[in-house]
Amino acid sequence: MSFLPAGSYREGDSVLHKMDPFCKLLSAFLLLAAVILSNTFPGYGLAAGGLLAVILVSRLGLGTALSGVKRMRFFFCLILLMNMAFYETEQIWWKWWIFRFSGDGLVQGMQVVLRVAMAMVLGNLLVSATSPLELVGAMESLMYPLKFIGVPIRDVAMILGVAIQFIPAFSEEAEMIRRAQTARGARFESRRLTEKAKSIVPLVVPIFLAAFRRADELAIAMEARGYRRTKGKLGRRRRRLSPADAIGLLLCGLLCAAEAVL
Amino acid sequence: MNKLSYVKKAILTAACISLCVVLPMAFHAIPNAGNIYCPMHMPVLLCGLVCGWPFGLLCGVAGPLLSSLFTGMPPAAYLPSMIIELAAYGLTAGLVMRFVHTRKMMADLYISLTAALLAGRIVAGASRALTFASGSYSMEAWITGYFVTALPGLLIQLTLLPAVAFALEKARLIPVRYPRTAG
Repeated sequence: MSFLPAGSYREGDSVLHKMDPFCKLLSAFLLLAAVILSNTFPGYGLAAGGLLAVILVSRLGLGTALSGVKRMRFFFCLILLMNMAFYETEQIWWKWWIFRFSGDGLVQGMQVVLRVAMAMVLGNLLVSATSPLELVGAMESLMYPLKFIGVPIRDVAMILGVAIQFIPAFSEEAEMIRRAQTARGARFESRRLTEKAKSIVPLVVPIFLAAFRRADELAIAMEARGYRRTKGKLGRRRRRLSPADAIGLLLCGLLCAAEAVL
Repeated sequence: MNKLSYVKKAILTAACISLCVVLPMAFHAIPNAGNIYCPMHMPVLLCGLVCGWPFGLLCGVAGPLLSSLFTGMPPAAYLPSMIIELAAYGLTAGLVMRFVHTRKMMADLYISLTAALLAGRIVAGASRALTFASGSYSMEAWITGYFVTALPGLLIQLTLLPAVAFALEKARLIPVRYPRTAG
């Protein structure tokens, strides 16, 4: 599963890399809202333009930004076909058995694919331009209001940080287990549900065991080094907002507002 | 090992959250398995059962959120309803496991799992009917979507999760719920 974008932070000195992680996360949420709100062709154009601008500013390249989308191309084709074949409409191009191919279905499918693809590009850009530690810090800042209802935000941020660090290791381990079980004769591709179900057990149980073993080792190491439940004030101080941060946030807010109007 | 420490619970929760990202990716190798077996539900339920309701709740909220951020799945439009469903799974599994003590691990697991799977589906259906698909969501759609289509997934979860819990207990990675007393 080396294609997983998880944890694939790419170092750089672009404006996006240098942006305050908290502002970056907020801007990503605003852009995500803009993508969700877009439902007209000018709206899609505007959202795509915004994303293209972020890709240019990040200097990560189109290949990196679209890596997740390329991986899901078969899924996107399936969504498009299903919308084309099953969308309920009066104007049908061609009807066969239960399938009703229509232009409206094609448009609907394209809209769904476009939205999901844009959301994926956005997530990929955020993860590629922000180190896991910075991302955790930003999440911690974002969760700050939850502190007043008794949520231990530092612990939650620590858990999220460890979870992010675990993802690449676990995905490698899962892929190794899958290959090993395939070599032992597991029939994942079988059409029969019982065979499929039987093949799941030797895949899932070792993945859970490996993950829990790794977690156990880390917990023992942390306890041995004296890690205790964190209480009190937040240790990390957020830096002051730079003009670039403010401009980035403002532009994303404007794009979101424009999508709401369109 | 008698009881899990806070640090260990936290790290096991982190492992379950990352499994929420990794397991669906592993299941992509099996045709249509993602829809049938609901792989993201398993780590959340297990987290609730092993670590308790606060950690199960966190896993249910953070799991789909991180998965959406890292892999784009579930898509942003389905994310809120999925978070609510998974949070209900983690919360209920942990709560029921805490209060049910039948002196038999298997019985405790099945009662907690059944309660969690039912509560999660009720909460998800209610949230869809009241907010996300208000007015267009019917009882038939709920039963078809959450019980008929997901039946293989339900059966797999009910079979697989106790097996995983026993394997973890045997490997001494989680504490024994009812330790055998000497003599």
